[in-house]
Amino acid sequence: MLITNKNKRTSFCNKSQNGRSNKCRRIRAWLHKAIINRLGLDANWVQNHIANCSRCNRRLVNVGKVNLALSAMKSQPHKLDLLMRANTQAIGVLKHSLRKTPKAQQLKVIQPEPKLFEKCSKYTPSATNVAACIAILLLMKVGIFSSMDKFQIQGQKVVEQYYVNQVGEDLADEVFSA
Amino acid sequence: MFGKTANYYLIWDFTVSAAVDERQQWILSAMQSHGQELVTMLWRVLGNEQDVCDAYQNTFLQLAHYKGGQKPEHIKAYIFRVAGNTAVSMLRHRIAEKKRLSTAIATRKTALSPANELDSKYLQETLRCYIAQLPEHLRNVIMLRDLAELSYAQIGRILDISTATARVYRCKAIQLLAVWMGKEREEKQC
Repeated sequence: MLITNKNKRTSFCNKSQNGRSNKCRRIRAWLHKAIINRLGLDANWVQNHIANCSRCNRRLVNVGKVNLALSAMKSQPHKLDLLMRANTQAIGVLKHSLRKTPKAQQLKVIQPEPKLFEKCSKYTPSATNVAACIAILLLMKVGIFSSMDKFQIQGQKVVEQYYVNQVGEDLADEVFSA
Repeated sequence: MFGKTANYYLIWDFTVSAAVDERQQWILSAMQSHGQELVTMLWRVLGNEQDVCDAYQNTFLQLAHYKGGQKPEHIKAYIFRVAGNTAVSMLRHRIAEKKRLSTAIATRKTALSPANELDSKYLQETLRCYIAQLPEHLRNVIMLRDLAELSYAQIGRILDISTATARVYRCKAIQLLAVWMGKEREEKQC
């Protein structure tokens, strides 16, 4: 009994913690958005200031230059066999018994492979489209069924009202209660 | 009697070395799982294939001899830090060598041309030079974040700092690099 209570308390604490962290995350996202909108580089007053302030202009140019250089460094490709060569050279200085293992032989001929995320990235648009279609279908299905129910209830009420007007309440109750 | 002892010694030696080698299989596993990321980072830092191979070899050699062949607690952190430090010392050595070989006038002439300012190779070399001059804590973050493309959480774990600290360090590093790049531009204009 005591254990059950303890478990309940723990799950309640976890739930409240999760709720709190979600709330916290939402607030942080909202704050971030608000700050970016008012103080970000795209804000109008910042753009106007940069256009007129030579010092800020220079700073922005310099940061842009650093980013450009970093992008250039990242986009510079290396030869496909570089990993193979590096592995071969590194394995060459390890112990003899390690050098002869099948794993070492595999590493000597390994080729760089894109990560799973990168491999799947080409399917992202199609996956998004499929997900959107499924969502629309689900919404439509839910909408149609809920409308059908409403339509049936409303129709029944109208017919009941008609009977009440034409033949009287007692008779109508008798008909519709059966 | 002596011969027998020698034989036993040899057998003992063989079994011990075999056990050690068996235990060092994790080096190859580390090479398999982190090799690609490491080569990419080293390539971006050094920009020279032979230097990349040398730094990579040095990293795994140090890993194999870590505390007499023991396995480090966080292999990824160890590998990336050793590789980063090796790459930076190689970069510094290369810069010093270049300075020694080239005359100041020749360098100034090439730097003065406006075409160079947007030349990708020139920009990369300048940035590499400044990255090597950054303070260690900022340099580590910029190398892991921008050149190895690791997440801030991973960087935090590798450098034993919080994610927020890693973000702040990266921001500071970019600001410092921008200031240095700007100074160089001003010097050229003077």
